[in-house]
Amino acid sequence: MWFFILAELLVFGVFFLAYAFARTRNVELFNASQLELDQLSGAINTVLLISSSYFVVRAVDQIRHGRSRSCTYWLLAAMTCGGAFLVLKLAEFGAKIEAGITMSTNTFFMFYLGLGFFHFMHVVLGMVILGAVTLKAWKGGYSAASYSGVETGAAYWHMVDLVWIILFPLIYVLH
Amino acid sequence: MKYKSQAVAKPYFIAAIGLFLGQIVFGLIMGLQYVVGDFLFPAIPFNVARMVHTNLLIVWLLFGFMGAAYYLIPEESERELHSPKLALAMFWIFLVAGAATILSYLLVPYASLAKWTGNDLLATMGREFLEQPLPTKIGIVVVALAMLYNLSMTVLRGRKTAINLVMLVGLWGLAIFFLFSFYNPGNLVKDKYYWWWVVHLWVEGVWELIMGAMLAFVLIKVTGVDREVIEKWLYVIIAMALISGLIGTGHHYYWIGAPEYWQWWGSVFSALEPIPFFMMTVFAFNMVNRRRREHPNKAAVLWALGTGVMAFLGAGVWGFLHTLAPVNFYTHGSQITAAHGHMAFYGAYVMVVLTMISYTMPLMRGRAANGRVAQMVEMWSFWLMTVAMVFITLFLTAAGILQIWLQRVAAEPMSFMAAQEQVSLFYWMREVSGLIFLIGVLLYIGSFFIKGKSEAATT
Amino acid sequence: MSSAFTKSAARNIFYGGAVFFFLLLLGLTFDTMNTLPKRDNRANLTESALRGKHIWETRNCIGCHTLLGEGAYFAPELGNVYVRRGPDFIKTWMKIQPSGAPGRRQMPQFQLDEQQLDDLVSFLKYASEINTAKWPPNIEG
Repeated sequence: MWFFILAELLVFGVFFLAYAFARTRNVELFNASQLELDQLSGAINTVLLISSSYFVVRAVDQIRHGRSRSCTYWLLAAMTCGGAFLVLKLAEFGAKIEAGITMSTNTFFMFYLGLGFFHFMHVVLGMVILGAVTLKAWKGGYSAASYSGVETGAAYWHMVDLVWIILFPLIYVLH
Repeated sequence: MKYKSQAVAKPYFIAAIGLFLGQIVFGLIMGLQYVVGDFLFPAIPFNVARMVHTNLLIVWLLFGFMGAAYYLIPEESERELHSPKLALAMFWIFLVAGAATILSYLLVPYASLAKWTGNDLLATMGREFLEQPLPTKIGIVVVALAMLYNLSMTVLRGRKTAINLVMLVGLWGLAIFFLFSFYNPGNLVKDKYYWWWVVHLWVEGVWELIMGAMLAFVLIKVTGVDREVIEKWLYVIIAMALISGLIGTGHHYYWIGAPEYWQWWGSVFSALEPIPFFMMTVFAFNMVNRRRREHPNKAAVLWALGTGVMAFLGAGVWGFLHTLAPVNFYTHGSQITAAHGHMAFYGAYVMVVLTMISYTMPLMRGRAANGRVAQMVEMWSFWLMTVAMVFITLFLTAAGILQIWLQRVAAEPMSFMAAQEQVSLFYWMREVSGLIFLIGVLLYIGSFFIKGKSEAATT
Repeated sequence: MSSAFTKSAARNIFYGGAVFFFLLLLGLTFDTMNTLPKRDNRANLTESALRGKHIWETRNCIGCHTLLGEGAYFAPELGNVYVRRGPDFIKTWMKIQPSGAPGRRQMPQFQLDEQQLDDLVSFLKYASEINTAKWPPNIEG
């Protein structure tokens, strides 16, 4: 599993490098386009994902002590945050499309929309994984002795979170 | 051979080898036309020879895949094939349709062929690799569906293993993506965009599943390594193949009118495409090193290892060489593309089919492995073909670099034909390598006819 | 990670990854199809150009030439031949094939009438105006 998490990080890493490279060649365009982004929404989303990562940590901690029920609640809390992230992100994309901005508008928006959407799909996948884990936890499928599924799901979710924590300052903030 | 019905693979493999020989002969004709332009003109113009060369390749590889499927799926499913008769009928239909198609290329002007076969009703012809007349295309679909029905029924009622499931998924994907060959919009950009859904999603997508399954099957047999280990590798390799390869399609979308963001998406993901091939090399060597038995069929082991190495070199390294958009801007549509195409097809698909044939043919002829002499000749043919292909690739790469320099980079660019004359020396050397390749093929075929003490059948 | 990496985990990654990236490909394709009208010169895809494409296909031109860099590498790129040579040159060229020069690469005579030649030229003109991100590097293709 770690192999794939590393592979995913590698893909994002290459994209981030590509972004940095493209930016140095056209700093003004990137800075000007960046001003059009909704930084508040981005910031709220960052808080949401960090909180959800914390909830997932709590969930793993609970199952380690054999507390299935409370593990389920923490996982549900994490998924609620994830869901809110998706809703906010959709609103953000919607506003951009409304304004006639697409991936072909310029290189900055290609990265903003492209990477954003790529990450968005990862959040969706992370939700599916957390959902499966939650369901199994709720049915009492994990115990203090056997909880590797929860850990794997948590690791994936942290990866998705980590990518966002780099993506947000890189694309929304860094001038 | 555990099940009688597996023997249905034999005619498929024999046909595959016969068509392989034809492919090489036409390759040599084309190679000569590169330097002696009017060779065989107007009897066999270059475009006809090329169509025959590439279509024979596709058809014989399909024969190889089908034969492999009919052999390995009963064994993996631990039951007889659902209908050996249907498989045999499909063999004859496919052989007759394939031969008729090739002959029609050679004997009938292409425009007349198009008119007679209903291309005016549904225009699908005249696109690279998809030149087949409409009836042939429909025939391919029919044969593929009959095969899938036959194999799926066998798997459904039998044991399900990673290998037969992956093989089946690969073959289903092959059939499904071929359907895009019937979509030919007038809009050239859309035409090209979806043309790649056949070509790329075949060779850098579902074919890799088929290849992985075949290689895994042979490796289990010749090394005796635990199935759990091999199947885990198989899943990881093909997962990486699709993860990198699906969006890797974008490396064909740089210069054909698609949005320019494909330069980023295509570059990033196709830069990862060597990973599954590298893993395949490591996989093959690792399994052979950890072998639990000394299989008497040394030739098959050599082919399996060769597949790993050459697929990585041809598809992985030579692919990576020109996959990044800033490089591809200069190399697109040059002899570099031809160099990559030759080694990738040979290293990945030709060699994996020959691996499968090498392992199964002795078993179908009632022995565990061929005699010492026959195996030695086969291994000689391996080295001749493989080394010749390496040189073909190197000479084409050299020709490509020079061509790009003269025609696309130099301050005063040369016209296409002027640049071609400058690189003709490399084309001559490529042709000589091609002749050596032909000797390799003839030796390979000869190895089937060498009698001698053979190893008794154990499986 | 306490768990060993199992075969079923590998299988799930395969199926999950395949679905995930195929959906991503569909998403990008959707966006591509929405963007194409700005790039693919469809306004000039006239009846004549469509007939020209049909001639292009039924004469198997791609068996020797490249078009936007795709095809065989035996004869010159034709995606920009309209710009490089102009319509009259193309039509005359088609009429005088094959050259018959000994040892030179030969192009067949396709016996196209005036109307068909005009159609082919409109197709090549349409193709030359597709936005190909500045490819080829120079006029020689």
